[in-house]
Amino acid sequence: MMKILPSLFLTFCFLSDLMAQGFQVNLQGQKQQAMGSAACATIQDASSLFYNPGSTCFLPKNSIMAGVSTTFGRTAFQDSATNSISRTESPVGTPFTFYSAFAVKDSSSRMKMGIGIYTPFGSGIKWEDGWTGRFALTSIKLLSIFIQPTFSYRINDKIGIGAGFIFATGSVTLKKDIPVIDADGNYANATLQGSANGSGFNAGIYYKPNNKLSLGLSYRSQVNMNVDNGKAEFQVPSALAANFPNGAFSSSLPLPSVFTAGFALTLKEKFMIAGDINYVGWSAYKALEFDYEKNTPSLIDTHSERNYKNTFAFRAGVQYKKDEKIFLRGGLSYVITPVQPGYVTPETPDATRLNIAGGFSYIINKKIAVDASFTYQRLKRADTNLETQLSGTFKTFVYIPGFGLVYTL
Amino acid sequence: MKNLLLKISILVTTGCIISGCQPEFTEPAIKKGNVDATVFVAIGDDFTAGYTDGALYFEGQKNSFPNLISMQFKLAGDSNFVQPLMNENSVGIGNSGKSKSVLGYATDCLGASSLKPIPYSSTGDLNALTINLFPTIGPFNNMGVPDLKLSELNKLAYGNSTLGNGNYNPFFSRMASDPQVTSVLDDATILFPTFFSFFAGTNDVLAYALKGAASNNITPSNGGAGIGFDGSLDNAITTLKSFGGNGVIGTIPDILDFPFFTTIPIDGLALDSASATLMNAIYGPIGMNFQIGKNYFTIEDTTQPFNVRTLKPGEFILLNIPLDSVKCFKLGSVYPIPNRYIITETEANEIRNAITTYNSIIQATAQQHNLAVADIHQFFKKLKAGFVYNGISLNSSFVSGGAFSLDGIHLNARGNALLANEFLKAINAKFGSNFPLIDATKYKGVTFP
Repeated sequence: MMKILPSLFLTFCFLSDLMAQGFQVNLQGQKQQAMGSAACATIQDASSLFYNPGSTCFLPKNSIMAGVSTTFGRTAFQDSATNSISRTESPVGTPFTFYSAFAVKDSSSRMKMGIGIYTPFGSGIKWEDGWTGRFALTSIKLLSIFIQPTFSYRINDKIGIGAGFIFATGSVTLKKDIPVIDADGNYANATLQGSANGSGFNAGIYYKPNNKLSLGLSYRSQVNMNVDNGKAEFQVPSALAANFPNGAFSSSLPLPSVFTAGFALTLKEKFMIAGDINYVGWSAYKALEFDYEKNTPSLIDTHSERNYKNTFAFRAGVQYKKDEKIFLRGGLSYVITPVQPGYVTPETPDATRLNIAGGFSYIINKKIAVDASFTYQRLKRADTNLETQLSGTFKTFVYIPGFGLVYTL
Repeated sequence: MKNLLLKISILVTTGCIISGCQPEFTEPAIKKGNVDATVFVAIGDDFTAGYTDGALYFEGQKNSFPNLISMQFKLAGDSNFVQPLMNENSVGIGNSGKSKSVLGYATDCLGASSLKPIPYSSTGDLNALTINLFPTIGPFNNMGVPDLKLSELNKLAYGNSTLGNGNYNPFFSRMASDPQVTSVLDDATILFPTFFSFFAGTNDVLAYALKGAASNNITPSNGGAGIGFDGSLDNAITTLKSFGGNGVIGTIPDILDFPFFTTIPIDGLALDSASATLMNAIYGPIGMNFQIGKNYFTIEDTTQPFNVRTLKPGEFILLNIPLDSVKCFKLGSVYPIPNRYIITETEANEIRNAITTYNSIIQATAQQHNLAVADIHQFFKKLKAGFVYNGISLNSSFVSGGAFSLDGIHLNARGNALLANEFLKAINAKFGSNFPLIDATKYKGVTFP
């Protein structure tokens, strides 16, 4: 069965870019998204590998699934001093997921193993040409892919535990203009590009005291993404070429730990409600630093304070089983921003927000089901950045229609 | 059900992608408050004129701070702002007849090529000073006249070339309603200003400082119109206020913070072992000691025995010192630097005391006439300390500081946009208006080859 995996790896290598809490992306399963991503104590499908590896062992059947959440984000910024409005061009993000979970021997086996591939963090934003914050940022593309082989073990009919190793890979491209101009009137610019790797783990416990109630705890560790051999390229007037030498840089970005506690309750057979609380260890993100291999008086290593704080997110969702073929879902999540006043940047114009989600599943036959989800996010944040002094209001709308396919064996 | 939901979801998404669902902002309506900018007139000197890179030229004038202010006034209604513009393709004309400067490569006496301000053209656009523009495009809203002192505002026949060099202002000749007769103040009132900006008085100390305090004079603080700073200012403001409009006045910057005075390090005399020995052989007997490495330059000083001493902290070397003489002909070491390239501590105190007094006169006059005060003195102090604007680091360093132009005295386009914002902030605070500020990132700093 596991032979099928390598080819699927390649098939689903989409890129992902979008923004969510900080640069966290909570789009790891269509069913769960549609319920506000309250999923730690629900057993939906193989995406439990992400939401709670402790529950995977309770999956009734083997399954393979894949999904994509097409993300349309639009951000606008109004400068508080000039009233001028700048907008982002809207790159379409496609965070994807692939999960596969199998019983080790037969379907009655206590041990299940699986692999999850998902994109828990990412960001993609491109500001319009010549925007007022061009010297802070013109575009960023941050991508991370987590590959998580996992074991899940059912201790008894009530308790399951599971854990997976995370191998993380990713890349970052960041562009900004430099406030020097050449004879043709073009501003100089810098492009920083690098790939990053990191590792961590994801573990969980699932407890089902009775047929109606289930509880879950999960912990995904912090993953430090290190860029060791990034490439810094500068397009500058020739007179300044020596001041801005192209060369290597190093940097690192912590992807924070997430601790989740959740419950799910089945009511009158047709209804299920679920709730999660996430505690996200964002305080690990203290500063964004770039260490250039070749320093000059014009090109010094940078240290930009970020000072994110640990935060909570609250998630709630409901599922209604209309009949044997159709499931309907709705959910809300209230996500508190980790970005403190004075630290809002055009790369992550984050804000505390309420997300609204909905979706459905349609069971085509015993083997195949399709999932659909839609999430809407709306953000507004006024701030004056302490480092760049960029002052104004960011507003963002995000529409995320997502589709998934589940194949049950 | 499935199809319906799917359709709704697709409809909403595609609808939003195609037609917008863009985040929107409401632009606040502009309140004029007590500002009637129907006829906005700017009175002042080089800074008001848009003199930059050592010359008056088209692009600099377009970016003059009052022209930038007028564009914000226009957002709230019609107000035409006419400037005595140079030809668009003119090389510019400076007060010593030179063209504007650009950054380029020049080879020094040691054969080393380096990036520095060089004249854009071998000679300035002298023609521009001989043609009077008033009959064709006057009267002018921008009454900024390069080199004007506040004490010269009411000087009659200020543009009269027949008075001979040094006795008239050629920049006024090209824009005066009648160069042989009128004063700058006369011409500033032709349009009956309903609002004015007043930023003059810098040249009342700067002209002296630019001569190394060796010639020209500081305008005395007290004295009647045309003689003292207070009398001249009171006369000008009383005249301008007589039309019933409001106005804004700028305070005088500490000119010794300008790169023209701070770029050449006073302790930049680098001596190797042989040179140090030579210097000690010459100057040791009169008690002056030199070491290998960094030393203070030597200067002429008639108050000293043997008329020579070394510079000390708190003193300044002017940017126009002939650097080739320093590098190759021992100026500042064996041959002391003449006083015209130096601001001594005594002279610096004299200049700064005058600026302090001028500014208290400006504050008092502003209060008396209910003017808004733009604290330009504070703005330049902030620039000296360095600040960040929308991700751009700015300070008062020469070339690299990002705000001063290549003459080391006047601002570049970006600096002028920030200067205009200081005036706008003062206007908004005083007169209950909310004119939006200017996006200074849209204005250029120094252009590099």
